[in-house]
Amino acid sequence: MTEKAISVSGISFSYGNLLAVDNISFEVAQGEILGFLGPNGAGKSTTIKMLTGQLTPKNGNISILGRDIVKNRADVQGDIGVCFEEKNLYLNMSARENLQFYSGLFGIKDLDIQGLLAKVGLADRIDDRAKNFSKGMRQRLMVARTLVNSPKVLFLDEPTDGLDPVSAQTIRKLIVAQAKKGTAVLLTTHDMEEADKLSDRVAFINDGKVEVIDTPENLKLEYGKREVKIRLRTEGGVQEETIAFDEKEAGDRLKSAVTSKNLMTIHTEEATLENIFIKLTGRGLEG
Amino acid sequence: MSLVRSLKIMARDLKMGPRSPIFFYAILFPIAMTFVVTVVFGSLFEPVPRLGIVDEGSSVIAKEARKLPGVKVTFLKSASDLKDMVRANDFDAGLILQKNFDESLRVGKKPKLNFFIGGESLASNRLILASSTFEMVRQADGSIAPVTIKLTTTGGQSVPLESRLLPMLVMYAVLIAGLFVPAASLVEEREKKTIEAVLVTPVQMPDILAGKAGLGVVLAMATGIMTLVLNNALGVNPGALIIVLFLASLMSAEFGLILGSLAKDTNTLFTFIKSIGALLAAPVIFIIWPGLPQWIAKIFPTYYFLSPLYEIAIKDSSLGQVTLDLSIGFGICAVLIPIVWKFGQRMEQQIGSS
Repeated sequence: MTEKAISVSGISFSYGNLLAVDNISFEVAQGEILGFLGPNGAGKSTTIKMLTGQLTPKNGNISILGRDIVKNRADVQGDIGVCFEEKNLYLNMSARENLQFYSGLFGIKDLDIQGLLAKVGLADRIDDRAKNFSKGMRQRLMVARTLVNSPKVLFLDEPTDGLDPVSAQTIRKLIVAQAKKGTAVLLTTHDMEEADKLSDRVAFINDGKVEVIDTPENLKLEYGKREVKIRLRTEGGVQEETIAFDEKEAGDRLKSAVTSKNLMTIHTEEATLENIFIKLTGRGLEG
Repeated sequence: MSLVRSLKIMARDLKMGPRSPIFFYAILFPIAMTFVVTVVFGSLFEPVPRLGIVDEGSSVIAKEARKLPGVKVTFLKSASDLKDMVRANDFDAGLILQKNFDESLRVGKKPKLNFFIGGESLASNRLILASSTFEMVRQADGSIAPVTIKLTTTGGQSVPLESRLLPMLVMYAVLIAGLFVPAASLVEEREKKTIEAVLVTPVQMPDILAGKAGLGVVLAMATGIMTLVLNNALGVNPGALIIVLFLASLMSAEFGLILGSLAKDTNTLFTFIKSIGALLAAPVIFIIWPGLPQWIAKIFPTYYFLSPLYEIAIKDSSLGQVTLDLSIGFGICAVLIPIVWKFGQRMEQQIGSS
């Protein structure tokens, strides 16, 4: 996790007068998974479109694997994989035909289609047309398509959105496996739990700006409450208490609670990424 | 732009074509139109006189027979085969020209001429073939005809209406395959967003446009040739007609790409095609009704392939006689290339911003 696979410096983009991305900078190392989190309209998709060569930034620089995407678009696109939120497969083509076609566009002649489909659990449906696939199967085929060129950088836009738990888990395992091989992954998701589990770092994007970028642990430490909540049995029922670690007598109170025979439960008050996002931006992820 | 990637795009579209109703429409339309025209004009089941010839020497009559208008002439090597085929009604008549037939004729001998008539042949075809053969022999003999026959055309037009409809049939065949198929393919890729997935591979927009244009040209050429064959119009000067068809296909594909780039969805595409289709088809009106001021037809770009097509297929003109129109047509195609490019860039920006 040392060399920079993605390096973004001060990029902006406007749709007419609407500033969609405002002077964003960040980096993603090889083998790193960066969770890109933000509500609809925050600028996530626009950023990914710029990073994958679909849009040209109005200013700033984007370097993918050490090459400028604007100047070397086709060259860079040969080394990246993009999984769209929308299921844009050729539905009249079979799984095999879809992968054959895309591998052909990358100039790959000896793709192990069967093996690739086995990774996403579709090997037994290789000759079925995509239009006969369920939503989860189509998404898994999309992910397989993203991997035809063994990309060094992966852009995954909501790859598990609306999927059944089995399909979602298959895709999550693949993402982690790719990262372990050294692939840099930029993952956009609404699912905070998914981002928390998969991402080495997360970036909160809001109103076209990156509000914060750090590891989930650091964010929780920085923005979470340093306190525990205890519940004690009393004669009248249950008594709840909160002990903040920064209090002067926190140690004594905690010791007293832990040794009390009336102690029922004790919980740390760890912040979730969603809480932190709301705290930082004043809005939820669904907004 | 990469030719290999363009060919891959084209190959996919061609391979997947048979799964699309538009492809069937493009192929079936010229057949259906030809059928309608031949039924309307009563020529569907009107057989062309068929003459089989065995030339045992190298008679000038055989050479002249090749030029017989409206007669299908086939050359065979064996006299017995010829007789069998006439007997089987594969030919209406069979002609055997013996070795040294011409020489015998010239020195005043009266050589034997074997002319077989099929028992099942139509009386009109027998008459046409017998009189044509007699005239060819007379010309080879060098004798003067006993009377001079002056041919006077009556009925106003020198070219029958059925023949004047040929450019219309070819134009529709070429436009549907060359314009509509690539335009619809482009729009479908935009609607289903499959083009976005292609554009994040090393394939660039010019590769896609070239691939779709290639698809249009190949299909339009195929349907154009098929239409000419169905209408017995390819035989006169096939090489020249194929050049004209290439121009027609290329121009149609370019217009198709422009319309496909402009239209955001299928409904808009149909609206565009309805509007521009009338303009593209306008020169046909001037061919069907030659009394109209012909200079107006030259305003429309499709004139520059429709007119050469009509001149070569119907009036037996040579390629040299239509060079100017063809040159202007190819010039228009060249001018359309940067326009297609510009519209492609615009479409790519729209896709990225969507």
